[in-house]
Amino acid sequence: MSKLNIKNLIKSFPSMDRPAVNNINLDIESGELVAFLGPSGCGKTTILKMITGLFQPDSGDIILDEQSLLKIPTEKRGVVMVFQNYLLFPYMNVNENVGFALKMKGVDKNIIDQKVKEMLELVKLPDIGLRKPKQLSGGQQQRVALARALISNPRILLLDEPLSNLDAHLRDEMRDLIVTIQQKLKVTTIFVTHDQEEAVLLADKIALIFDGELQNFTSPKNYYEKPKNIKAAKFFGGVNFINAKKDNNNLSTTIGTVHYKGENYTDLNEDNIITIRPENIKLSKNNDFNDNSFKGLIKSVIFSGTHTRYKIIVKDLELECSLQSVGLQDIKTDDTIYVHLPSDKIWAMNE
Amino acid sequence: MGGERLKIILSLTPPLLIIFTLFFGGIFYGFLQSLGYQPAIGKYELNFSAYYNVMFSERYAKLFWTGLGLNLWVSFASTFLAAVLALFGALAIRKTFFAKTICNFIYSLNLPMPHLVVAVGIIFVFSQSGLLARLASQIGLIASPGDFPVLVKDKYGFGIILAYIWKEAAFFFIILMSVLQSLGENFEELAQSLGANRWQRFRYVILPLVMPNLFSASIIVFAFSFGAYEVPALLGVIYPQMLPVMAFEFFLNPDLNARSEGMALSIIIAIIVMILVVLYFWLTQAKIRKD
Repeated sequence: MSKLNIKNLIKSFPSMDRPAVNNINLDIESGELVAFLGPSGCGKTTILKMITGLFQPDSGDIILDEQSLLKIPTEKRGVVMVFQNYLLFPYMNVNENVGFALKMKGVDKNIIDQKVKEMLELVKLPDIGLRKPKQLSGGQQQRVALARALISNPRILLLDEPLSNLDAHLRDEMRDLIVTIQQKLKVTTIFVTHDQEEAVLLADKIALIFDGELQNFTSPKNYYEKPKNIKAAKFFGGVNFINAKKDNNNLSTTIGTVHYKGENYTDLNEDNIITIRPENIKLSKNNDFNDNSFKGLIKSVIFSGTHTRYKIIVKDLELECSLQSVGLQDIKTDDTIYVHLPSDKIWAMNE
Repeated sequence: MGGERLKIILSLTPPLLIIFTLFFGGIFYGFLQSLGYQPAIGKYELNFSAYYNVMFSERYAKLFWTGLGLNLWVSFASTFLAAVLALFGALAIRKTFFAKTICNFIYSLNLPMPHLVVAVGIIFVFSQSGLLARLASQIGLIASPGDFPVLVKDKYGFGIILAYIWKEAAFFFIILMSVLQSLGENFEELAQSLGANRWQRFRYVILPLVMPNLFSASIIVFAFSFGAYEVPALLGVIYPQMLPVMAFEFFLNPDLNARSEGMALSIIIAIIVMILVVLYFWLTQAKIRKD
């Protein structure tokens, strides 16, 4: 059980014109499963490598259980990293791979054998100890890499793109395994991914990083419902953005006055942007709604199985709405429609 | 399909003819000579007496076995030391640092240099009249250049070993740099995060990863140094003499009867090298089968 605090972390490389990691601050609670999410090259893996000690930060601090890690060499930090491409030692069999960390610590061979057996059972691969890595599938290799990382009871477990090299069905299986093991062992875990779906499905909290800067660090639910800024909203599939101004506890927009219930009204600047997820917008041919209802014209209808997506023009502004296909009203292109933006589903952000 | 196969066979025929005629033809004729077949002096009878003479006769046995011992010592020592030197050199400079280009250049400079030039270089630098001896004498480390230890033309083959280390370390270095660069640093970083210290990373990660390539290169270097003539001829002593030099001297002997002994010795050298190569392939294949 280990609490990790990252303070004002900065790292630059000579080959880059901006810091790879720029003033990152994060507090990760003990036993939490946290995702570092962002596009390739945004600095996620660089932060991971600074936590392991493979990179030294230019400034800032990394504190584990009230103790700075910066002066502690990688091999003594108790921070274990599982690399994206598993990196099982090709000349060792599975037992030797899994027992590597204990062998390095000089643990007795009988104890190593016992622990290796336990770990292989934990990752549900009890009978492959004598196989060489090249005799294993990608999914098996990933599990062995996980067992190898967990055998020494790491204080922090770091996973670099743990699911990116796996097929879709193996990915689901591995995702469940990671969550199960993490909850069972309660090891503080950070994983890096560029896949927002993966982050949402796995993580207790997501640190969204763009260009080396932390955009937001909150629960997956908040990214959908209460994004901190337009970048975060867009990364999580947000498509509806309307410029707004504060107006007497409401928001004045180009499509009309919007009644707003968000708790952050007082924190908003005069100029801000409101967003609403496509699945939260409601449509009606008759004006059935009391407030936040605007007349529009259906521009396109796209059926995508369980859902149907509509593009609607409301006073020159294009909004996108996604409704469940089952029991849908008959709405066609060029129909006039009333668009309802429920006030409790609208979220306003500073520009 | 048949036409395609014929086309391949026809296109391979000229080089195969040259290889078979020059290589296997030469070996076959040499083997015949080693069995005593010398029409020029009217000897047509085939027997193994040249082999017996070289290995067991009172006149040559001591020369042969001490020569074989020296050959094995020089080849093992030079191969091992060149590999070690190159490994530590490659490990030291593979990460970017300011002198990497210079070090890389110095190592690679050796590669195109002929062995003969290197042997002469060793004489200039390490002999008792060489640069080091004069320098040591100038700065007072030794009373005169003659007090400098005998490193060239010595009975232990130190000069020959030095020449091979100088030359072959570059070959090992080029191979190791390419292996290390293709491996990257991820395995070491992983081992480090799993708790391996510097020595453990070298022992349990780097060494096993580079060993297959290092071993293959060692076989090539060993085979070369075991059968090469010019460096031992320049830097060796009259006794003990390395086998290739001994074989050549048999061949230069005005008594044409000695040619069979020379050829027998050459065939023995070739057989020893071939046994090593076969052993190497057998070991690697066994490892592949085991994996």
